[in-house]
This record gives sequence, C-alpha cells and structure tokens, in this order.
Amino acid sequence: MDKLLEIKNLHARIGEKEILHGIDLSIGRGEIHAVMGPNGAGKSTLNAVLTGRPDYEVTEGSIVYDGKDLLSMTPEERSWAGIFLSFQYPVEIPGVTITAFMKAAVQARRKAQGLPEMKTPEFLKLLKEKMAFVQMKPEFAKREVNVGFSGGEKKRNEIFQMALLDPTLSILDETDSGLDVDALKIVADGVNALRSPEKSAIIITHYQKLLEYVRPDVVHVLKDGRIVRTGGPELIEAIEKQGFDQF
Amino acid sequence: MGYGNYRDPFVGRRPDHVVGAGEKLELTFVVLPGESRDIDVAIDLVGEGAEVSLKGLYLCGGEERVNFRILMHHRAGGCISHQLFNGIAGGTSRVSFDGRIIVAPDAQQTEAYQENHNIVLSEGAHVETTPQLEIYADDVKCSHGATTGRLDEDALFYMRTRGVPEAEAKVLQMISFLAAVTPEDRKEEVEKAVIQIV
Repeated sequence: MDKLLEIKNLHARIGEKEILHGIDLSIGRGEIHAVMGPNGAGKSTLNAVLTGRPDYEVTEGSIVYDGKDLLSMTPEERSWAGIFLSFQYPVEIPGVTITAFMKAAVQARRKAQGLPEMKTPEFLKLLKEKMAFVQMKPEFAKREVNVGFSGGEKKRNEIFQMALLDPTLSILDETDSGLDVDALKIVADGVNALRSPEKSAIIITHYQKLLEYVRPDVVHVLKDGRIVRTGGPELIEAIEKQGFDQF
Repeated sequence: MGYGNYRDPFVGRRPDHVVGAGEKLELTFVVLPGESRDIDVAIDLVGEGAEVSLKGLYLCGGEERVNFRILMHHRAGGCISHQLFNGIAGGTSRVSFDGRIIVAPDAQQTEAYQENHNIVLSEGAHVETTPQLEIYADDVKCSHGATTGRLDEDALFYMRTRGVPEAEAKVLQMISFLAAVTPEDRKEEVEKAVIQIV
C-alpha cells in the first residue's frame, strides 16, 4: 500500500539524553493515527522531530514523507510539502496580523512551488471563506496573531490556518490535557471536516477525550521512547480502563 | 531621598528644547544601518500642561556606534512626557541608551514615562541601557522600563511551520518590534533597512 509517511528505527535526543529509542511507524494516505502515551513517553520529541524543531537531534533512522527524505528538509520546506503542525500552545506574534501572517505563508509556498503570487482580492476571498468554515469571526483577520486570544480562540486559529493551508499531513499536538470541551470540539470538527482519502493526520495525545470526537483508524502506544503496541480504536478503551501500565 | 537633593540640571547647561504652558513637542529619531550617531537631547518642561513625546528607532548591522542621551526635566507641574526607544543591534555595533527623567519638587501631577526595548541579533553586538528616574515631587505618575533580548525563537519556529521562510520570519518579527516607533512616512525605508541587516 502507498504510504504517506514512513518512520524507521528513529532515535532522537535533546542535549545528551536519548528520548526516542527506535520508532517504527507508517501512515497510509487517508488514515488518521493516534499516538498515545503517558508523560515522558517521547510524544513531544516525536512531534518536534517530525516538524523539524531546532535543538532535537536525530541520531539514527529515517523518515520518508511522500517519497522525500523528511529529515533533510527545513521546517518551512516541510510546510510547503504539505505538513501542518497544530500547536498545543500556539505562539503569540505581537504586531503581525493574521492576514499578514497567512499572506506571507501562502505567498512563500507559491513561490517555492514556482507559482505566481496570489492576487490580493483572491487571497482575501480565500481567507474569508476559511474563516467562515471554522466559524471564526471576521474581525479576527485584523487581530495580531494569538495576542489576547482565549484558549479556544487560539485553537480555532490553528484549525483555521490548517484549513487555509490545506495540508496533506496534519500533526495535532494535544500532548497534555487541559483543553476544555469546546476547544476539543473545534479541533475535532476541523479535523473531521478535512478528512479525505488523500489526507492523513497524526493526533499525539495523552488522553482519550479528543479521540471520542475524532475516531482514529490506528492507535499506537508510545512508552519510554518506543512504540509498545499498535492496534485499532479498541486500544483507546483499554487505556481508559487500565491506563498505560498494562503495556 | 529628600527634596534637598534636587539640583536644576540646567544650571551651566542650556536645554535643547524648552516647552511652555500648553505647548506640545514631538520628536522622532531614526538611525539606519551604517550611521554612527550621538543623539543628545535635553528638554525642559517649564509651563503647566506642556506635553512631550519622544520616539526613537535604531537599526545597526555593522560597526556602528549609537548613543542616546536623553534628559527630560519636568520643572512645571501638570506636564506629560512619553518616551519610547526601540532598536535592533547586529554585527559588532555598540549602542547605549542613557535616559534620565527628573521631576522637580514643584512639578506636581507630572506624568512621565520612558521605555527602551532592544533586540540583540549577534554575539558581537552590545547594548547598554540605563534608565534613571529622579522624582522630587510626591504627586506624580512615572514609570520606566528597559528590556534587551533576542528574537523570539518560538515565534520564528511557529512561522516557519506555516511555510514562512526563516529570513522572512525574522523580518516580520523585527518590523513588528519597530512598528510603534516607525514614522508612517518612513515605513518602506525602515523595512528595507531591516531586510538589509537580517
């Protein structure tokens, strides 16, 4: 079967400490995978390595995304290739409006793909359409990115950006609990609405709440830097009943 | 600190600007890459209701030496002064900001504010900031704040994950950092200078 993402024997560290001790994971097109694990399992590190966060070093193994060597790509190149990371804690960018930010993102990608700049009216139409799609109030277009946003508004802004950039692989970092039900629903609705046979998603999470709204096709249990179990959605219930100690 | 410590700073020195009752003074200083400058400004607010607004912006990317020395003297009561100086130092530039606010004993109901924010882009650049506040009246609103830091790495990474190239993400962050001190008619010039030193 044609795989969108193939992780093989991935070892990664931050500083001197190895956190991932050989991860194997492959995701087919159209699939939604959940990676669940207790605190300290390596969820944040896996996420950081997938998106190219500086400071994390891959010492062994490979990641092939859509036929390309992902580890040799910069974070922006990964974005241009269709990877999107929804942040657990979206960052504030004072002085930069959502419109200016998304325009820079869209134009940079078009440039990388050898396409001409998108005309302003066309861009504004797209922006409006995607804001409406995630039920974001139009006045947010002029707000500074995430500045003074509530937790739910920040999440909605993430999903809005996801809808606008229309990724092939979405990575949702919900590593810690603390999301209220409304914010969870925003994320879930966004992911569900963007589901298609071509698009895949990884939901990295500590707890099962979000997975009540987005049913994954495959569930992986990450523990001590290794995938210790892979199965179907039935694993979610097993974790809910007996926690991570059973693995 | 008693009133006895107050000394008129304009004994033996003339102010550069004297602002009288009800008058307003607005000054903006823009220092672009390649310029070494000493900006030395002494202001005396002498009449009730005088208002002063000072803004400053610097961008250094090479071996520039830029020194700001600001003296804001509130001689009369009921006056307002605002100061905001933001700048970015790269290369092996040296920047100093020496800002002094003096509120004379009779200058009741003074409002005086001063902020100086700096971003250091390189290991070789150096910024020193020394805000000083000397208040000899008791019914005043005064504050000063100074920060010196680096570009926000988390914000840069966030922008890059959305496809904004690293250099452009830096430019966006720097332009927004300078926005509050950039005169409307010099926006383009400042933007070009930012691109130049990134």
